[in-house]
Amino acid sequence: MSSGGRGGKRRGAPPPGPSGAAAKRAHPGGTPQPPPPAATAAAPVAEEEDMMDEDVFLDETILAEDEEALLLLDRDEALASRLSRWRRPALPADLASGCSRNVAFQQLEIDYVIGESHKVLLPNSSGPAAILRIFGVTREGHSVCCQVHGFEPYFYISCPMGMGPDDISRFHQTLEGRMKDSNRNSNVPRFVKRIELVQKQTIMHYQPQQSQPFLKIVVALPTMVASCRGILERGITIEGLGSKSFLTYESNILFALRFMIDCNIVGGNWIEVPAGKYMKAARIMSYCQLELDCLYSDLVSHAAEGEHSKMAPFRILSFDIECAGRKGHFPEPTHDPVIQIANLVTLQGEGQPFVRNVMTLKSCSPIVGVDVMSFDTERDVLLAWRDFIREVDPDIIIGYNICKFDLPYLIERAEVLKIVEFPILGRIRNSRVRVRDTTFSSRQYGMRESKDVAVEGRVQFDLLQAMQRDYKLSSYSLNSVSAHFLGEQKEDVHHSIISDLQNGNSETRRRLAVYCLKDAYLPQRLLDKLMYIYNYVEMARVTGVPISFLLSRGQSIKVLSQLLRKAKQKNLVIPNIKGQASGQDTFEGATVLEARAGFYEKPIATLDFASLYPSIMMAYNLCYCTLVPPEDARKLNLPPESVNKTPSGETFVKPDVQKGILPEILEELLAARKRAKADLKEAKDPFERAVLDGRQLALKISANSVYGFTGATVGQLPCLEISSSVTSYGRQMIEHTKKLVEDKFTTLGGYEHNAEVIYGDTDSVMVQFGVSTVEDAMKLGREAADYISGTFIKPIKLEFEKIYFPYLLISKKRYAGLYWTNPEKFDKMDTKGIETVRRDNCLLVKNLVTECLHKILVDRDVPGAVQYVKNTISDLLMNRVDLSLLVITKGLTKTGEDYAVKAAHVELAERMRKRDAATAPTVGDRVPYVIIKAAKGAKAYERSEDPIYVLDNNIPIDPQYYLENQISKPLLRIFEPILKNASRELLHGSHTRAVSISTPSNSGIMKFAKKQLTCLGCKAVISGSNQTLCFHCKGREAELYCKTVGNVSELEMLFGRLWTQCQECQGSLHQDVLCTSRDCPIFYRRRKAQKDMAEARVQLQRWDF
Amino acid sequence: MLELRLVQGSLLKKVLEAIRELVTDANFDCSGTGFSLQAMDSSHVALVALLLRSEGFEHYRCDRNLSMGMNLNNMAKMLRCAGNDDIITIKADDGSDTVTFMFESPNQDKIADFEMKLMDIDSEHLGIPDSEYQAIVRMPSSEFSRICKDLSSIGDTVIISVTKEGVKFSTAGDIGTANIVCRQNKTVDKPEDATIIEMQEPVSLTFALRYMNSFTKASPLSEQVTISLSSELPVVVEYKIAEMGYIRFYLAPKIEEDEEMKS
Repeated sequence: MSSGGRGGKRRGAPPPGPSGAAAKRAHPGGTPQPPPPAATAAAPVAEEEDMMDEDVFLDETILAEDEEALLLLDRDEALASRLSRWRRPALPADLASGCSRNVAFQQLEIDYVIGESHKVLLPNSSGPAAILRIFGVTREGHSVCCQVHGFEPYFYISCPMGMGPDDISRFHQTLEGRMKDSNRNSNVPRFVKRIELVQKQTIMHYQPQQSQPFLKIVVALPTMVASCRGILERGITIEGLGSKSFLTYESNILFALRFMIDCNIVGGNWIEVPAGKYMKAARIMSYCQLELDCLYSDLVSHAAEGEHSKMAPFRILSFDIECAGRKGHFPEPTHDPVIQIANLVTLQGEGQPFVRNVMTLKSCSPIVGVDVMSFDTERDVLLAWRDFIREVDPDIIIGYNICKFDLPYLIERAEVLKIVEFPILGRIRNSRVRVRDTTFSSRQYGMRESKDVAVEGRVQFDLLQAMQRDYKLSSYSLNSVSAHFLGEQKEDVHHSIISDLQNGNSETRRRLAVYCLKDAYLPQRLLDKLMYIYNYVEMARVTGVPISFLLSRGQSIKVLSQLLRKAKQKNLVIPNIKGQASGQDTFEGATVLEARAGFYEKPIATLDFASLYPSIMMAYNLCYCTLVPPEDARKLNLPPESVNKTPSGETFVKPDVQKGILPEILEELLAARKRAKADLKEAKDPFERAVLDGRQLALKISANSVYGFTGATVGQLPCLEISSSVTSYGRQMIEHTKKLVEDKFTTLGGYEHNAEVIYGDTDSVMVQFGVSTVEDAMKLGREAADYISGTFIKPIKLEFEKIYFPYLLISKKRYAGLYWTNPEKFDKMDTKGIETVRRDNCLLVKNLVTECLHKILVDRDVPGAVQYVKNTISDLLMNRVDLSLLVITKGLTKTGEDYAVKAAHVELAERMRKRDAATAPTVGDRVPYVIIKAAKGAKAYERSEDPIYVLDNNIPIDPQYYLENQISKPLLRIFEPILKNASRELLHGSHTRAVSISTPSNSGIMKFAKKQLTCLGCKAVISGSNQTLCFHCKGREAELYCKTVGNVSELEMLFGRLWTQCQECQGSLHQDVLCTSRDCPIFYRRRKAQKDMAEARVQLQRWDF
Repeated sequence: MLELRLVQGSLLKKVLEAIRELVTDANFDCSGTGFSLQAMDSSHVALVALLLRSEGFEHYRCDRNLSMGMNLNNMAKMLRCAGNDDIITIKADDGSDTVTFMFESPNQDKIADFEMKLMDIDSEHLGIPDSEYQAIVRMPSSEFSRICKDLSSIGDTVIISVTKEGVKFSTAGDIGTANIVCRQNKTVDKPEDATIIEMQEPVSLTFALRYMNSFTKASPLSEQVTISLSSELPVVVEYKIAEMGYIRFYLAPKIEEDEEMKS
């Protein structure tokens, strides 16, 4: 990446003119970039970059035109015809030749390039300009690249008092001069295109007057917004007005987003370019079937309704690669070849992929229903894949961990092999794809390291990233994610075995190909199952951001996008407030009423506030633009009847004075959700239903994230006055509800029992009305909800939702109960805060707790639950528990040195790195471990061990640790409200007196110690000629022999069953099982059964003569 | 039927204190020849072997070989109730899941019965084969105990080197180093104060002091300790128990890869 080449200077001096247009590509995102010279002068603070959106640029290597032609010529004819079967449908004649038809397409991706402004469309301007590129697909499945001209980057500052038109032009000149100084090596003729005087109003705080003068500063290129802002923020001397520094408005919006907002385009919607308003591109820059040029003002953006809510037939490519790693090393592109690439292409909306193929290095036996393409050299494999991408022209590329592994690997590998023509994977001709390292950090998702491979015009959707974002799982391996969502496992072949398969024959390579295909197929299945395309497109439509933002950025951009759109309608502008990251200004959170712990055997009614925080914001008109700061309150002297004083002491004006825009956004979101839900009821078509369901979910999430946006202290526009007011109202309402319930539903008030509020959470209150049937409790619940709702300002509403019966309340935020919504039958068992859901516990705890709750709540069998606990503990002490149940996983979020205290998983990762750096977990991985026995007083972090290592070396686990640190707390929490002396009964009874101490095979003393034979009957030490039994047990010879034989055959059977299970999972009963999946319980059981069986056989051999 | 009567009851108390730090649960094996125990410590680095021969008991009856699993902490709780001069009798019935400790005061005016629930411990029997050692050091057990304690305040490991001159214990830590040399000394008034070195060839081995310190808990049992060393073999630290048996501790020498096991 050249650091100084911002002015179009490139090595090799390609021809000037339009071909230079593709030279640079906009890169959205404020990710760490070497600051360009201009910005160095502006000296943006490093930390600032994390939260600010800047338009930055990447220089790109491009190939000279003729060079490209040469490279592409060199193609295998047979392969070309094979690939051409999968081309997109040909364009109809009228579109292919003329411009006489409207072109409508669903856009997926918008970016921009810097190019010469269009001579025909924009006859009056010259010099470099930003050209937006919209990539999309038509209803017929044709790919479109629409180049939009004439849209200019701009931002606002508030106009200083008394600035007249002359002052503005002088100001313009000063600013232009300053810009020139700080962008010396730029060849732009004019930096500041114009400055307009506009009437706007700031969003911050209530302002009685309708508008104020603002200056709209239009600059030549998007990157100049930042440097111009820097100049204005640091202060500029204006003739007649002196030196002044300005607060800028809307200066941190990505150019593409700015364009979408101004043109009313939302992510993934349909865009129409009317006939006659567009031109066919004179020079084809992309591989899209249709390439148009038009003016931004001519675009028609359709709202996602009716026909336009449908999805175009996108081509979704799901792929996976296999590399032949060296033993003991994770594959590295510098050494290890790519040996297979499996591809599946599916048309959006269709159940089955229409392309399934696999490209292999060296021969591979045929696979039913799959195109197997074998090549002799790695170069051919890679180039075939490139040709395939170009022929199939996928709109969306999916896979598992493709962004961090597969894509960068392919590109880096091609670099190593010096295949310069490989990385032309995007839709722009002769522009190469490159790899960058990025880190993404957000409060909600934590820090993630990733590699960024921008493939122009194609959306990447890495299922791994989506999973990590949307679901909390104990493991994110493809295997365990598939098991979780699809109920289907795959074999997990360790990467060190892959080389062996590759070096075998065409049969073993076929085996690998089947495995590789499965890895490509599962992401597609997940995508369908979780309806990711629908949900993400709907989320993009609702929040108005491009789809690619949804995966790569946090929550706040979505709220900001909505806020900007609404503000634009209202003629408001949003200040660019620098991060007040210092802010330890926290505010009081939600209230939780004292929990009266106990086991309730009478129905408990739950009263919920529907969308509490959004409702509060709407009811009390809480917004940036309705907030009256204390100093303004004195000045403005607003009458008390036109303002609300919130319980936290802030003042907001009432809606009749000025309606807030956050409440308005929320109203629209909730109204849209109501509509979507109503439509969902009507809808018959499954695709339509999927869209609508995705939409209502997106709307709900968006409504709830508005509150968080105002409270994010390092966010785009924090306003703690709003968020603290929201929570203070919330607290007040919970207290109010409790008081009303307990005052009204009393024996004095004519009811049978006194109602009692036993617990209250952020937005719900649990009431025991004292009645003994679910039906009566429901009746009273509804009555209470209606009665109390009447006392609140609309739209705050208390709803009766469900009954818990029986209900086990352990402490605040921890409870379990059977969930009833109709009096006949309970719906499910509902738990909160109990170890069934926490993921840093081992599976044993989860199973134990779930089973106990089931026995207690559903079967109402407390003694049964107690017995179950005892049996489990006894099994644990006797080492009869599956190792997989004892595995604890924790995410490794940073390296060892960064952790202040030593943690078990971090220390283990460090030790594993010493053993074998290739298989050791790295930052971002979840580390599975078990706790083993060690010297007395050793800390837990010293006792963590890799489960596979434990299995292999027969290292004894430490049952006491599991008993005391894992099982006991959750169990006692459950049983204490139910059982007297729970601790003694459960944890110290006679069931704890049988233990097993296993002998590790590799410890220090075991190198010297000899195992002594003991009697198979009574365990007494035997010596001399006796090999099996002691003198006393001789009489039981027959019985004990049968027992030993029985034991062996039982274990053999168990092992056989487990082996078959694994064979089924790998899809072949004729081949060895290679899988070593650490997430699979079967794997651990299989390994243990294998070991036990071998030991049992040794015992049996002692009977041999 | 098992019945073992030990006049010197305090011996049993001392034995238990000696191994309690290393082992929590273990099987006591009773056979016609004696009462024994062998167990690994919980980190599997050291091994304890205890033998009390039948001749040492005033009365010894063991009808058949028997393994009794006991939690040593619980056992210590019971034995703590016995006076130092008490006679202790261990009793168990065949197939019973309890063991009885009977404490008789010397003048027979007080008899106490303590019954303890047994555990079912499933573990392997291990033994270290006897072998010839390159060097055997006999020294006062209090001296050895003192050395280990002193060195552990400076370092984590001790290097024991035996040469013609004597035996050297050395350690190094963050604050500095320490070397203690004990010379052979047979000319003492009391035989238990002697330091005797029998050496075939010089030997130098490294051990974790943490375990050595645990071993010295057995010092009250015997005035003298025997340390047997050979390269390639674990060290044996042996304390004789009156005339009736011994308690032996085996510890594997520290090799580089042990680092990992230990931590």
